[in-house]
Amino acid sequence: MIEISPTLWPFTTRFLEVSTILVLAAVGELLTQRSGVINVGIEGLMLFGAATSFLTAQAFGPLWGFATGTLVGAFLGLFHAMLSVSLRVNQIISGMGVWLFATGFVTYWADRYTGPLKATIPRISGLTPAFFIALAVVIIIWFVLTRTHFGLKIRSVGENPAAAEVSGVNVTWTRYFCTTVGGALGGFSGAVLMLSYLGAWSHLPTKGLGWLAFGLVMFSLWRPGILLVGALAFGFVWQFAISPESIFPGFPAPLPVNRMLPFLLTIIILTIISTERFRRRWALMKPEALGQPYIKE
Amino acid sequence: MLKLDIGRIKRERIIIISGRRAVEISLLSIATSFVLFSLVLMYEGADPLVAYQNMFSFAFDPKLGLSLTIHRSVLILFTTLAFIIPLRAGLWNVGMEGQFYLGTIGAFFMAYTFASLPSEILIPLILLGAAAAGSLYGAIAGTLRGKFNVNEVVVTLMMNNIAFWLIYLLVVGGPWAGIAESSSRPLPKSAHAPYIFNTPFTSFLAIALAVVLFVFLTKTTTGFKIRVLGHSINTAKYVGIDEFKMSVLVMSLGGAIAGLAGYHMWAGDPAFLMIPRPEAYKAVGDLTYWGIILGLVTLLNPVPAIPASFFMGSIIVGATVLVRRLRLPFGFDFLFLGMISITFAAFQFFYNYRLKVMKK
Repeated sequence: MIEISPTLWPFTTRFLEVSTILVLAAVGELLTQRSGVINVGIEGLMLFGAATSFLTAQAFGPLWGFATGTLVGAFLGLFHAMLSVSLRVNQIISGMGVWLFATGFVTYWADRYTGPLKATIPRISGLTPAFFIALAVVIIIWFVLTRTHFGLKIRSVGENPAAAEVSGVNVTWTRYFCTTVGGALGGFSGAVLMLSYLGAWSHLPTKGLGWLAFGLVMFSLWRPGILLVGALAFGFVWQFAISPESIFPGFPAPLPVNRMLPFLLTIIILTIISTERFRRRWALMKPEALGQPYIKE
Repeated sequence: MLKLDIGRIKRERIIIISGRRAVEISLLSIATSFVLFSLVLMYEGADPLVAYQNMFSFAFDPKLGLSLTIHRSVLILFTTLAFIIPLRAGLWNVGMEGQFYLGTIGAFFMAYTFASLPSEILIPLILLGAAAAGSLYGAIAGTLRGKFNVNEVVVTLMMNNIAFWLIYLLVVGGPWAGIAESSSRPLPKSAHAPYIFNTPFTSFLAIALAVVLFVFLTKTTTGFKIRVLGHSINTAKYVGIDEFKMSVLVMSLGGAIAGLAGYHMWAGDPAFLMIPRPEAYKAVGDLTYWGIILGLVTLLNPVPAIPASFFMGSIIVGATVLVRRLRLPFGFDFLFLGMISITFAAFQFFYNYRLKVMKK
């Protein structure tokens, strides 16, 4: 009854694209959180990245779109760092502020140009080149975090900023750096969403992908490897929710039920992973100083 | 490092912030966002003074926008209260959107099921349904937090998205689909919110709730336990406060309050009296996030939340004039709201610090 459809490969490329978007945004957030800063405004970063890249791509071509999308993300990351590290504003408020600002600004800015992109980006046998960039970024961030001196500094800042400061690490600078890079990756992921996955602007196009990326970081236990696997699974679930018939023709469940799946899955996995047994066995914990501003006394 | 203590200005840490200072800061941040937005208005070629005058004259005109202003303000008030209670116990309830949707579902379920009952019986039933559905939804996050220590921010954010699709499932082509495309069947006449002094009765309910919650938090034992838990988990454990019970309690309380907004929103505005199409109810759902900002601005105190929500409601309603009357681009009102939210976020700095000019 259930048969594999000929649209399997197109489906695979699509879901890998969603995974790309998720993994880029999430790995940036992971880096940010490893340095002890939490940025709940990923959805806002992605919206800004998407809008900027869309408008730039319309005027100057897609390559510039990626560049400006990333740049705008980096700028927003820097702004979040300014608020949360220097001004020591509550980080959840600051992130929410960025997100609410993004929804307003992007609607005002890009909604009047609603429509498809003029030029599309080249693909490698149907697969978006950004996929390989995302893979490279995950490997680089994993390598930096676990195998280099600089990564040790980042992690120490996230775990115990006071001790890090005493041993000569510049806490403020490290947090600024990580938050800005995380923001840039969020903006880039928004650009990929717009220029590669959607290809057209519509009202608030992210549709909860940013929140999903945020959940992904939490249950990856702040490990890039697990994050990558999670993003692949979630990309699959997300795309499957949109077009289940491309794998199983005649799939019966109505659409909205499927759309809930990724979010439901996050809660379930998060619950399992948060139980004491899991945490102790894997000895993986969240960064100790996450969300707390560092105050040098 | 961005050094603020260069030169003669020094930042000084504040441990306890007075109510007066909080009011001053919020007024200052509002003023700043108005000044910033004036620049955008001028860039678009509109006179800021005319625009602001138009905004507020519409929002407070009893013939035009006042009833709408009150209606939206009460929505914000409900969500602010729903945010305040859990955070008093240290839990971040960012799931007002989802709880609001669930309240909508609960209210409409009751209204459709018992449509034949007279409104004296039906409306209490509906309120109960809305509060119960919202509180159950909140309780899930509270249980997960209390039992397994799952981060409640992530859980509630995910549940917001689930609830969005839940309504979608019911309304768009689902069992509640109406004649109009992708909106629900109209509410039965007996389920419409009764009006007192030309305002839906839920408005008075919300204000009464704010006062009751203030008394609950400051004068009762349970309220005291909530506040102890919010200050220090270790102290709470030491004096034998059940963290699990408290988490569930505050989250379901918050959920119930946000759920009531689900009835108020759709039954108290003659323009709706049904669940509108997804973009429209999502736009209302996004408004619930103002609860977070106002909750923090009012220092988690339910009583000042009343005027704060009213002011925010007037801006939300007034800003729509910019697009409709002054022919400014679509989304201009949302831009203003976004700018206010980010200014509020930045001004949180002054809640923790005071700038002081040093004498050399």
